[in-house]
Amino acid sequence: MISSDRPPDPDLADVRAAQADRAAFATLYRRYLDPIYGYCFYLLGDHHDAEDATERTFLAAMSALDRFRDTGSTFRSWLFRIAHNQLANALRSRRRHRSASLDLVPERVAAEDPARLAGEAEDARRLQRAVSRLSGDRRQVVVLRFVEGLATHEIADVLDRSEGAVRVLQHRALRDLAQLLAEDAHRA
Amino acid sequence: MSRQPSAAERLDRAVDGVLDGQSVPVAAAAAGLDPTVRVLLGMAADLRASLHVPLASPHFEARLGTRLAPTASRDALGWALRHPRRLIVTGAVGSAVGVGVTAYAVWRSSRRAPGAHRLLHR
Repeated sequence: MISSDRPPDPDLADVRAAQADRAAFATLYRRYLDPIYGYCFYLLGDHHDAEDATERTFLAAMSALDRFRDTGSTFRSWLFRIAHNQLANALRSRRRHRSASLDLVPERVAAEDPARLAGEAEDARRLQRAVSRLSGDRRQVVVLRFVEGLATHEIADVLDRSEGAVRVLQHRALRDLAQLLAEDAHRA
Repeated sequence: MSRQPSAAERLDRAVDGVLDGQSVPVAAAAAGLDPTVRVLLGMAADLRASLHVPLASPHFEARLGTRLAPTASRDALGWALRHPRRLIVTGAVGSAVGVGVTAYAVWRSSRRAPGAHRLLHR
């Protein structure tokens, strides 16, 4: 559904350029490679699987680019929806559900107080472990919202849900995370 | 009659504020969150600060970039084949590029040749 209060799609000019000349797709590729790879990695928990899903996403996006229309969905949500479908295929083909080993996410390097950095890294690891224990749809909402920075209406487009359903998923995911972290703290 | 926003809607509005750079207390107050939901907003702020996008490896980036480039060339060919006149234009441009590349290669080899000649005779 088109909503007039949604901000304009910032990628639209680049998408139009890529639709006219596929060489211009390189701009969108460079802009979205890391976000799409990150989304795939957080959901699959394996670098090789994430690369496979990322590759399939961009090849599919490239061949379907002419079908993208500015009808309310942003290019970003359209691209993440393709990635979402690739992830669904990848998870189905695994047959058995492996939980994501998010401890593998490399930590940010910064020239700051080492003790504070170590504390922050430990907090991040605890959060990543808790996120990896969320159910599939709640984990997707958390990654799309807090790692990728998508708006609620974009996540609704990606997951093919209503905005209200996404808000409820977000609320429940944050509640679950708070509970998981409290249990961790209790065990420690 | 206006409907009261649900707890999930108020939390979402506050999360928007945090993602836009507001502090947790300011975003919570603006969205009218009660104390139990404020805890969840703090969790949202922690997630935003702690979880980050892992970068794809440069090797993978280059490999996929190379795979996408021939797709772009094939698309250009398809664009040309749909209209015969475009084929003539594409052929002319392709020939001009070919002539240019060949001329450049000849010029480069003529500049390199004396040095190469000396190396061979050392």
